[in-house]
Amino acid sequence: MSEMKFDRTLDARGLSCPMPIVKARQEINSLAAGQVLQVLSTDRGSVKDFQGWAQAAKNIQLLRQATENRDGKEVFLHYVQKKA
Amino acid sequence: MNLTQPNCPPSSGKEWSVEELKSRLDKREKLFVFDVRNAEEFAAGKLEGVEKLPTLNLPYFDILERGGKDDVAACVAAVMQNADAPVLPKRESILTVCAKGGTSALVAEGLRKAGFDAVNLRGGMKAWGDFYEFKAVAEERAFGIYQVSRPARGCLSYVIASEGEAVVLDPLRHAANYIEFGRRQNFRIKFVLDTHGHADHISGGRALADACDALYLLHPYDAIHPVDVLPARVSYEPLRNGQEFSFGRAMLKAIHIPGHTLGEVVFLLNEKYLFAGDSIFIESIARPDLGGHGETWSPLYFQSLQKLLRLANETLVLPGHFSRAAEANARGVFAATLGDLKRNNEGLRIAQKTEGEFVKYILASLPVFPPQYVDIKRVNAGLLAVDEEKASELELGKNVCALAHAAQA
Repeated sequence: MSEMKFDRTLDARGLSCPMPIVKARQEINSLAAGQVLQVLSTDRGSVKDFQGWAQAAKNIQLLRQATENRDGKEVFLHYVQKKA
Repeated sequence: MNLTQPNCPPSSGKEWSVEELKSRLDKREKLFVFDVRNAEEFAAGKLEGVEKLPTLNLPYFDILERGGKDDVAACVAAVMQNADAPVLPKRESILTVCAKGGTSALVAEGLRKAGFDAVNLRGGMKAWGDFYEFKAVAEERAFGIYQVSRPARGCLSYVIASEGEAVVLDPLRHAANYIEFGRRQNFRIKFVLDTHGHADHISGGRALADACDALYLLHPYDAIHPVDVLPARVSYEPLRNGQEFSFGRAMLKAIHIPGHTLGEVVFLLNEKYLFAGDSIFIESIARPDLGGHGETWSPLYFQSLQKLLRLANETLVLPGHFSRAAEANARGVFAATLGDLKRNNEGLRIAQKTEGEFVKYILASLPVFPPQYVDIKRVNAGLLAVDEEKASELELGKNVCALAHAAQA
């Protein structure tokens, strides 16, 4: 899998629902159109929630999701692009 | 008698514990459910009462987008002012639920600001899924039988105690609940038995036996994963047809009935109570296809059911699952006599006809095969290790171990 390019990272590890999406919305608002936000979360529920959010929100697109093991802990990565 | 430990903190008016919710559901109190999880999780496991609860699913991220603010409670209050606001009852209690109870607490707060009578389910659907209830089935001089259920999942397990010794049948994942019950009731768990290799839930059998230094028994046929065809890595003592277990003044006898699984074993207690595992349920019978071999296992299943049909009509059948809370009797226990079930249970009625008719009926009544069941069997065989979060995800929602029929539609 090629490395995903992104413009900003939101480290939401350790935060529980709804904070990963609340904070991601704030970050997206401050991004320019076309820019990509990388979100790191340790909340397993965030995977389906980001998919649902991307459908509900008109101004974003979910480019990719991935799971990584960092220091023995599962981390869920979400790449969200602000639409033009 | 409800034996559920009342050690939960008392709930405030703004939040209900799962214990409080259960007691309100049992009393059939009027309740409207506002579920803010994503649509997929909502579809996988809804909150149910004795009767269907009026429910609205509006995911919290939809609320955030529609409300346009950074604060969930403020978004809810804003959304409820909109022309396209969801229709919620003004005079009933609204219970807000989400996965773990955090987001739904904010939603309840927003609803209260908007003038609704809203209360949050503390711990969310996770807490509801992990809630156990202990009920006495019979307390005779020689022994006591307790039905242990996870109401959210429709899973039933049993503790049979006699003179300080006990057997636990099909313990569910949270083994500590049985240990605590044994400690309070002052008995020692001597045998832990799994009626079969479960597909719908993670067994607490091996963990419970380890914790109480008890023997863990399983039929060797179910120690082979039916899809992977790999031997289990969990250690177990082989369970045999006709094997007898005596503890205190009780005697439990194993009857091997291949069908739902190849190693399905049911137990007869003092010739009076049948612990039926996944064979005969109250409104239905178990499906024979969860091992991936429905067509070849159905005739076997028919032959096995004939063994059970020959038992006395007065035998009290105690099933391994329920599909609807309404199947319980007036005391909230899931049990019926074999005679009643022969008349009223559709699957068992057809099992009294020919093998051909039975197999045809079975193959026409199979519900969808939940894909996670293959992994759950792997976990139970010790072929796959999962953490708590993954275990909860695998177990989300009601079991589908029974045949589909009109009553469940």
